[in-house]
Amino acid sequence: MLTRQEVLKIAQLARLSLTDAEVAEYQKRLGRVIEYMKDLDSLSLPKGAFVRHVPLDAPRFREDEARQWPDREAIVANAPLAEENQFLLPTVLEKET
Amino acid sequence: MSARDKYEAVIGLEVHAQLLTSSKMFCSCPNVFGAEPNTKICPVCTGQPGALPVVNRHAIELGVRVGLALNSTIHPVSIFARKNYFYPDLPKGYQISQYEQPFCTGGEVPIQLKDGTQRGVKLTRIHFEEDVGKSTHHGHGTRVDLNRACVPLIEMVSEPDMRTAFEAGQYLRALRNILRYTQVCDGNLEEGNFRCDANISVRLKGAQEFGTKVELKNINSFRYVEKAIDYEIDRQVEMIELGEVIQQQTRGWNAAKGTTELMRLKEGAADYRYFPEPDLAPLEITTDWQNEIRKQLPELPQQKSERFQESYGLSPYDASVLTAAQELAQYFETVTNLSQNAKASANWVMNELLGRLNAASVEIDQSPVSTEHLADLIRRIDSNEISGKIAKTVFEAMFATAKAPETILNEKGLRQISDAKQLEKVIQKVIEANTSQVVEYKNGKTKLLGFFVGQVMKETKGQANPGVLNELVKKLLDSQ
Ligand SMILES: [Zn+2]
Repeated sequence: MLTRQEVLKIAQLARLSLTDAEVAEYQKRLGRVIEYMKDLDSLSLPKGAFVRHVPLDAPRFREDEARQWPDREAIVANAPLAEENQFLLPTVLEKET
Repeated sequence: MSARDKYEAVIGLEVHAQLLTSSKMFCSCPNVFGAEPNTKICPVCTGQPGALPVVNRHAIELGVRVGLALNSTIHPVSIFARKNYFYPDLPKGYQISQYEQPFCTGGEVPIQLKDGTQRGVKLTRIHFEEDVGKSTHHGHGTRVDLNRACVPLIEMVSEPDMRTAFEAGQYLRALRNILRYTQVCDGNLEEGNFRCDANISVRLKGAQEFGTKVELKNINSFRYVEKAIDYEIDRQVEMIELGEVIQQQTRGWNAAKGTTELMRLKEGAADYRYFPEPDLAPLEITTDWQNEIRKQLPELPQQKSERFQESYGLSPYDASVLTAAQELAQYFETVTNLSQNAKASANWVMNELLGRLNAASVEIDQSPVSTEHLADLIRRIDSNEISGKIAKTVFEAMFATAKAPETILNEKGLRQISDAKQLEKVIQKVIEANTSQVVEYKNGKTKLLGFFVGQVMKETKGQANPGVLNELVKKLLDSQ
């Protein structure tokens, strides 16, 4: 179980507002995730032996050659809201820069 | 003793420098400034699911170049990490950076102090990271342009090793020079490719403990660096003197008001929940690769300054001014080689050329006065062909018109007449027109020599070479 304060702190970092019922629910659910992490912690692994998704034969580097992506309009069009070729988001963080 | 004298400031600087690559850090989008919004984007830099980053080799080379130039330690293996936070300009919800194992630690930036001596400001670390996008707030929402997202950056973190705003300003200038010399970054605060945050705290002189630090952001002009830091030091001293407690916070410099303003209370490092980037293998920089990069290093500002002092006999101050930018150093050196007079070259460049260039906002490599023309002018002074005074008039015209000294001397009729035959003709004419004065002179009134010289000067519109003229007048009068 996480404390109510811990859940509220995580919610704040994720810019989420939760109802009281949701807070109670996440105290339990996030608590289970943390319990599982503790299980992983009990394994004795060498430092830095984290699991990677990078395939072994993936290129380590690319050469510095600029290429224009052909379908950039599609990327903007993929956004829920756009305006003058820019992504449009609700201003929720106006006070922070 | 004012209250401020009881305190000392402790200043550390964090500089973000955009790397001069052709493409972005982890994708092939062009790395350019000022393009139309969202025209330089792809699935990787916009954080589309499944898109994977691949490291730009040249970005790594540029970072290593800086580390080597600052005598830092380059680590053979370093780790990319995710810095997690939510902000509209950060499409993935995390920024790829380096945290526990940066590619570079230690080293120092040599800075020039007011008394002309040098000292090194210690560096903590340099690490790679990607830039974020640009958000602009409008009444109905926030617009996001991701052209800049994923542009390669290095972040250079200094130790809290500076005590005055002046030192901090010198550190930034020195660092910018090195980045420009090594062609790693344009070093332009105004365009935002070189960005500076300052960590500032104050404490009583002699105290061991650091005070609570305030992070100062938005210092986007070299003109304001010292002013902004000084303002913040004063503000903190004043608060402490009033018995108030300084809170850890981020403040922004407001150039219009000349003050710093609260932006937010500090989020601790733990809130970024850094963890190793699983999409990227550890960054390996082999010794061979390092050595290859070392070979490409140019002569750095400090080495150049020392060489200028030794080879050309310049003062430490003159040498530091002339090596501040590589183009300027090259200009000076070319003029010196052509004119064979380093001292005069330094004087002309520093006292006559630089001020005019600054006033006209012209860069040295666009100077209307070419190195050949300036060297030519200096040679003419050194051979007594023209006086220093005429040279200044000529120089002014050279700056205005970009013409050669020869052309200007002819056009303006400023050429000095040193030719004996030509002068003798004029002197003869003057002697013939003033026979009574000649007799007086012969009778011992030698002061009249000046009269004759003056008359010849009048005839030649001041162009007679005074040294040559004096001798000739005397010779001709004595032979009468
Ligand atoms: Zn891209």
